[in-house]
Amino acid sequence: MSEMWINMGPQHPMTHGLWNLRVRIEGEVILDVDPEMGYLHRGIEKISEDRHYNEVITLMDRTCYVAGLAWEHLYMLAAEEALHIRPPERAQYLRVLCEEFQRIASHLMWYAAFVQDIGLMSPFLYGMRDRDLILDLFQSYTGARMTYEYMRAGGVRNDLPPGFTDRARKVLDWLLPRFHEYDQLCLGSDIFHKRCDGLGKLSAEECIRHGVTGPMLRSAGRKRDLRRDRPYAVYDQLDFEVAVADGADVTGRYLVRMEEMRQSVRILYQVLDWLDRHPGPVMADQLPRWLGAPYAPVGREGYLLKRNYPKGVGFSAIEEPHGEALAYVVNEGGEHPYRVKFRSPVFANLAASRHYLVGYRVADIPPIMGSVDVCVGEVDR
Amino acid sequence: MASATLYSVSYDLSHLLLGGIASVFPDPLRAWISNGNVITGLAVLIFAALLLAASMLNTILLIWWERKLLGRFMDRRGAMHVGYAGLLQNFADGFKLFRKTTVQPREADALGFFTGPTAYMVTSMILFGVLPISSGWNSGALPLSLLLALAIFSFAPLFIFVSAWSSNNKYSLMGGMRSAAQMIAYEVPLLLAVVAVVIVAGSFDLTTIVYEQQNYWFWGPLFVALVVFVAGMLAEMERIPFDLPEAEAELVEGWNTEYGGMLFAFFMLADYLRSLIGSILVVLLFLGGWTMPSWVPSAATSFPLAGIFWFMLKTYLVFAVFVWIRAALPRVRTDQLLRVGWNRMIPLSLLAVFLAAALVTVKCVPVFGCLPSPGI
Repeated sequence: MSEMWINMGPQHPMTHGLWNLRVRIEGEVILDVDPEMGYLHRGIEKISEDRHYNEVITLMDRTCYVAGLAWEHLYMLAAEEALHIRPPERAQYLRVLCEEFQRIASHLMWYAAFVQDIGLMSPFLYGMRDRDLILDLFQSYTGARMTYEYMRAGGVRNDLPPGFTDRARKVLDWLLPRFHEYDQLCLGSDIFHKRCDGLGKLSAEECIRHGVTGPMLRSAGRKRDLRRDRPYAVYDQLDFEVAVADGADVTGRYLVRMEEMRQSVRILYQVLDWLDRHPGPVMADQLPRWLGAPYAPVGREGYLLKRNYPKGVGFSAIEEPHGEALAYVVNEGGEHPYRVKFRSPVFANLAASRHYLVGYRVADIPPIMGSVDVCVGEVDR
Repeated sequence: MASATLYSVSYDLSHLLLGGIASVFPDPLRAWISNGNVITGLAVLIFAALLLAASMLNTILLIWWERKLLGRFMDRRGAMHVGYAGLLQNFADGFKLFRKTTVQPREADALGFFTGPTAYMVTSMILFGVLPISSGWNSGALPLSLLLALAIFSFAPLFIFVSAWSSNNKYSLMGGMRSAAQMIAYEVPLLLAVVAVVIVAGSFDLTTIVYEQQNYWFWGPLFVALVVFVAGMLAEMERIPFDLPEAEAELVEGWNTEYGGMLFAFFMLADYLRSLIGSILVVLLFLGGWTMPSWVPSAATSFPLAGIFWFMLKTYLVFAVFVWIRAALPRVRTDQLLRVGWNRMIPLSLLAVFLAAALVTVKCVPVFGCLPSPGI
């Protein structure tokens, strides 16, 4: 076959979302790739400028539809810094609980999609089945399975329902042996190693040059995790290891994510114990009245309240399941943020795709792109 | 009635039918209708219709069997709603596909686009006429039926390539190319594994091969050949781990990307027809065909349809193993398949041929017993 361009996307089983990977191939060998994003752009950053601080949370759930709570957390950290609010400690623990459960759910979703990409059929449903348990937990305290709208400026919406921690521990007890099963299904198979070892190589130096973060960077042996390097919320009080691998390839990313799920379980046990021992408020008590509910005090009084509120700038960086997500919120007074800007880790990971795809084969694209863990919602925002 | 064969049944049916019709008509016509040749002709048609019905029914049942098994492997139930335990689900699916419009891409080559799936389906169906299911269900003693079956079986990549190329789609073309490459990888070891069986059985006739297995089934002494044959069959049937031509992760749907409606149903049916035939070939060559295990009481063996029952039982169990493999293994890559085919499977199949030759020389194996005295 002579050289040709093929469009893998926007409707293609490999993309897991709405984006297009243009691939120039000769036979089955990839000569060049050109990722095209933007099919899912909703202007979330711009819409945010027109919304009450607490209304932006709704958009955060839609930014990354597999890790909504992590993005709520990211936004809330920046917004609270801009608004000069500090949430109570219990709320911070609850947010860590959300984020870590979300990390496991997101990684399970990744696992399901990834094994499907290399042709493994059953683990796809195993991953989805176990993710469902976490969604059930989310549903029991946020009321939703996908669009949670759980966090608020100054804390979280509500405390955990009675008996939650025991149910959560039961789920964690179930999950740990499952991870072992996943490993047996994948790492125990020769074909898996044939399909994944040494593919999609991207060294740590190149990762840093192209802004590639998260499991892709850690799979190259670089021990960088914002939860440890730039602790936010209460991560500095929790005990966990940063998962690293040294392959810089698809198998390495698999190993990193699997280990991360185990570490998340470890963190969650500590968080659940702390939550059991420390009851308390979940919302800050010194909140300005207009922040409590959208448009609460009306009229001139409300206007003055908002206008006279001190200005500020907030910045936050969290270790989102896909990588390092950054948020920047400017408060110029008033109930809307003046400017909101996010940095999506997956965008950078995708943009570097030329550097880890060229030279491999067409059949390698699904495992490699699967190991990147694409979430198009946050790429296009 | 124990000796009733499928052909004798259809001949009797034809005789009865034509006799009834003939009695209505006046003499010259009556004599022509009750002529032996006409009765034979209708008998052949009835025979073919019975074969077709049986093969289609089994194919659809096989899809159900796969869906249920896959469901259980994946910790779910599979089809449940249409019919008892979803038995009618595939008929409903087929009906849905039947009602759909067949869309032909504007730039597609109409001749290849329509003849490809049809030929794929038809060649797969012809195969069913060659295979003996039991001593009675036998379309005739073809001395080279095994060779004929394998020859027709390996037509498929050609028709896949024709339909892939005429679809005028890059993914389809790549799928077709892979299908052709795959054939190069598995065809040689597959045939060498068959040669091992032929050496032991001393015949290319499937019926004879089954009769040669009356003392012991070939899977034990020819285990290496069985492994190679099953691996080759997996590639021939294009099932995971060797479903590269339609690897949906990278090639959308591979060579049948552009097909929808009834043409897609043709491919789907033919795929499962081929899976059925692959399982049947494994049963015929290695698992003793319709012969029963020695522990079955003799009262059960003389039951009219016992042969067919055992044959179908073995076929569905063999297919269950294929489904199991599909549920547990990832997909390999084309170059890896070629490497496995040439570097591993060909030496293994040569070893199998050597073992078969040794078996024929020794005649008796400690655990299994002796070969029956040569008949042909």
